[in-house]
Amino acid sequence: MRRGTVNRTLLGVVGAVLLAVGVLVLAGGLDLYGRLGVDPPGWWPLTSPDQPVVSARSRTRWVGESWWWPTMIGGLSVVVVAMVWWLVAQLRRSGPTSIAVPTPGASGLRLRVRTRALEEALEAGTSVLPEVERAGVRLVRAPGHPRLRGAVRLTPGGDPAGLVEHFETGPRADALSSLGLPELPADLRIRVLQAAPTEPRHWLSRRWRRHPRVE
Amino acid sequence: MTGPGDEGGPEGSEVPGEVPEPEQAAVKVPRPKAPRTPETALVATGVLLVAGALLYDVVAVRTGHPARRWRAEIADELATRHLDDLWVLVGAGVATLLGGVLLWLAFAPGLRRWLSLRPHGGTGATIERAGIGHLLADRAAGLTGIEHLRIRIGRRRVRVTLIGPADPASVQRQLREELGRVTLARPMRLDVRSARGAGGVAG
Repeated sequence: MRRGTVNRTLLGVVGAVLLAVGVLVLAGGLDLYGRLGVDPPGWWPLTSPDQPVVSARSRTRWVGESWWWPTMIGGLSVVVVAMVWWLVAQLRRSGPTSIAVPTPGASGLRLRVRTRALEEALEAGTSVLPEVERAGVRLVRAPGHPRLRGAVRLTPGGDPAGLVEHFETGPRADALSSLGLPELPADLRIRVLQAAPTEPRHWLSRRWRRHPRVE
Repeated sequence: MTGPGDEGGPEGSEVPGEVPEPEQAAVKVPRPKAPRTPETALVATGVLLVAGALLYDVVAVRTGHPARRWRAEIADELATRHLDDLWVLVGAGVATLLGGVLLWLAFAPGLRRWLSLRPHGGTGATIERAGIGHLLADRAAGLTGIEHLRIRIGRRRVRVTLIGPADPASVQRQLREELGRVTLARPMRLDVRSARGAGGVAG
């Protein structure tokens, strides 16, 4: 599963629990059921403003059961282990350290290329493309096969469409053909710099010169 | 989105938005989604602290130690305070707000600053919205008759407000050409208006 999916699931579950508890307590405490004339079913919790949040009786309802403490301890342990696993997973380097290169001609030979070498080659190839001011390329894990992720800053007036085309036919095609990889999709993030206006044309434009009014 | 110093008045003349050129049809590109790592780190740490403390205390009680003061106090408060107690209501309000924010973070795609470009082969790309503004501002800087220019880049449309004798229609043509060079996956509408139409003729 992708990391983003895991993150969003965790956020969604915690958010849904908080929202549900908060809405239930608010509805009971403000007596929304009585005011709106809604009659909740008998098992519905927290319906009267005069009842305690968690009464001693409901807290100790299942304490006597034999399954209660093992379930409680087991559930809490699962939650704790899952959170520790998530936090440790963030410390790992996000990409693989090396990728396998196919060797169709030679049997018994296995080749791997260090990720950093590939990234540096791609960065060097991207930096010399026209209108590129600065380029960084990373190889990241993705379902199926790794992906390239590039961040490129273009000089003022640069051509984003041209950059995408040049990257596709230049550095990416070179990497694919020299490594013999079948697939290496790429995502580029493009920023464009702004040329500083040479002279203030009008007193009104002073503000514009200092901070380009772009939102 | 409206910045300070909004000089554009209702008296401004506006160029009617033309239909974008047919060759600039929208391309379906999956919208990039933010990974939400920092937000999830906060939530995971919070859940870990709460669940870890509870687990520690439950295990301590099961092995014959007395419960910690904090757990007994919390249980006592929850058992004595009624639902219409002010602090209970405040806590419930905070939980509702926080839950709503977390659900929003879980479902909203994020990365609102980035717009997708048309992919080329195996290379997809996004461009920063401000970068489009820089391109337009640099193009407009080469035009005459513009004293002041304000560019606002939305996710679907670009609004340009100019002050000066320049003709908004010709400025719009120039800027549209520049915007077309960006090859966005979903082309944006471009509205150019002159705020104090000093000689600017709508057309």
